Amino acid sequence: MLTCAEFLAEFGDYVENAASPDVRAKLEEHLHECKSCQVIVDSTRKTIRIVTDSASFTLAADKVEPIVRDVMARIRTKKR
Amino acid sequence: MLRELANAGERGAILTVFDFMSDILQAWNEALPRDMKAAAVYGFVPNLFLCQRQLPRAVEAEECLINAVVVCGNEMSRSHKEAILRCVAEVQKNDYCRTLYGNALPAASVGDSALFIFAIKLARFAPWFSKGDTSALKEWGFNDESLLEAVATIALGHMLCTLADGLSPVSDPRLALACSAEFPLVPEPTDWVETQGPYLSFPAEPSEKSPSYIFFRQEYGFLPNLFLVQSVRPDLVEAEARALENLMLPEDHLSRIQKEQILVTLSAANLNTYCFTMGCQVLSVLGALPGESDEIIAGQYLGQLSPQDKTLLDEAVKLGAFVKGSRGRFDRERLRTVGFTEAQIVEAVAVAGLANFLNTLQAGVGVVPDFPPPRTFSPKDLYPSDEKSRPISDATRPEDPDAEIVTCVQSGEIDAFEELVRRHSRRVYGILAGVVGNMDDVQDLTQDVFLKAFEHIGAFQRRSKFSTWLTSIAINTGTQLLRDRKPSESLSESDEDEGFCPRQIQDWAENPERLVAASQRDELVRAAVLRLPEKYRFALLLRDIEQLSTEEAATVLSISIPAMKARLLRGRLMLRESLTPYFVRRARES
Ligand SMILES: [Zn+2]
Repeated sequence: MLTCAEFLAEFGDYVENAASPDVRAKLEEHLHECKSCQVIVDSTRKTIRIVTDSASFTLAADKVEPIVRDVMARIRTKKR
Repeated sequence: MLRELANAGERGAILTVFDFMSDILQAWNEALPRDMKAAAVYGFVPNLFLCQRQLPRAVEAEECLINAVVVCGNEMSRSHKEAILRCVAEVQKNDYCRTLYGNALPAASVGDSALFIFAIKLARFAPWFSKGDTSALKEWGFNDESLLEAVATIALGHMLCTLADGLSPVSDPRLALACSAEFPLVPEPTDWVETQGPYLSFPAEPSEKSPSYIFFRQEYGFLPNLFLVQSVRPDLVEAEARALENLMLPEDHLSRIQKEQILVTLSAANLNTYCFTMGCQVLSVLGALPGESDEIIAGQYLGQLSPQDKTLLDEAVKLGAFVKGSRGRFDRERLRTVGFTEAQIVEAVAVAGLANFLNTLQAGVGVVPDFPPPRTFSPKDLYPSDEKSRPISDATRPEDPDAEIVTCVQSGEIDAFEELVRRHSRRVYGILAGVVGNMDDVQDLTQDVFLKAFEHIGAFQRRSKFSTWLTSIAINTGTQLLRDRKPSESLSESDEDEGFCPRQIQDWAENPERLVAASQRDELVRAAVLRLPEKYRFALLLRDIEQLSTEEAATVLSISIPAMKARLLRGRLMLRESLTPYFVRRARES
């Protein structure tokens, strides 16, 4: 049976549902017994979801064309 | 009998999953084998079906199909059909089904190898499948009936793999590990032949009194070509009608519309014009076809759905044939989190399984649409910007969608660069915002990155995708600015701080998103991400915010894949730590 530390070192693929079947079985065996690791898995997945869905670093849609315009203007000036 | 199981399922909710599974496994195996067709086929009830206990009618639908395809039908031997199922599991790289048919081995005759080539082509490259593939098999003595049997078996194999992908059953303790099996190598098709189907003639007229005929008349208003062409096997059509009836009509869990939407979306993802057309027709009869029919390209269509339904389709489409891996694995947890029940999730997976069954069946028999298609799909849709159409395979990476434009720019067409700026400005901006933090500089800096890319594009060697290369420039530009500002800080700061250990172990809310408004959430995430040490921040930025694959992100950062994974996990855990206070379960909720 894994310790919590071993579990936490190995569960990276598991939260992405990408762990190999035997790793997954090993992790789930621990998870089955350990409430705190369950919480960590659950909240890590939710963290990923929140980060993935956030628009924290998103360029506003109406800013795209001005950037395209400016970049192309700068390139054409340079080339001339 | 099945109802008892459903009740047992409710009682079982308080037991842990594993105890519960083994209890039911035992109960089901001991008490019910004679009543389960699956038990008759497999000698026991595989976990694939046990884990659908919340939805007995889905199991019934699947059993109907398994029975009709594998047990009935005498053109091919049972062991041949099981070898095909194994072959499909290999093609789909599905470990569960590989083990389920672990003892099925391809026989050695040359005719068999033609059959497996046929199976692999259809299971893996369905949109490229053409009349020629069918003719090849006819040379080995296959007639319409045996062809139909082969196609239906391949379609069934696809369905079983879909179920296993979506439900992730634990492997069956009764089964030994699969023995290794060699199947012929089928090269990726590079060209694509447009052929007119159907590939089978349908000599038999369906009886107007048959239950399936009545079912299609009542529920669809006509007998779809896909079923008409199978009229040599009325029992198979019957089983398909039962499966549709059991899965699509009841509305006790998902609505009919939700299910038809899954069918349409998956058919589009599988590039199946026939099933897409049929699904659109049904949706329009149900009054649920939004906008002009030719606007139903997946993206625009999804935009008009509720967030919950959008998530449903978003996940369901991951079970399609050509998206495997590229859109991530099917995520049940995510569906749970947006409020879908266990039974609804099982139903969604079962419907996806049926959709893939019908898609593969259609591709194999090649029937033409019953209505003018709102959109025609072809292998070209996989690579819209590419002249040659090539499938996505795990061996060769998909070609760079920017390749053509890059060639133009490299050969002096300055104007072509405009499209590259348009395509990638959001990513470049996002990377820079995450690296430098200060939003004021970022738009100017974004322009600088594109100017640098333009200046150096002649030196771009295509060892990576253009977007990966551009992302490296963005990371370097941002880092340089940081160094200029604070020369003291360096990337190689106190490295492997092994001691990091999560401290917060409070349970998070079921729907943490509901606790904090979106704009506030963006601000929280922004601040928390910017507080992360650089190396974890960059890993998280590339993978979770800009959604690069692990491989691409490792390339950008010039680190190994294990190092990338370690940094990402650390970053995610640190972020989790600082977000926990905002998203823990409130007293009222628990
Ligand atoms: Zn633990």
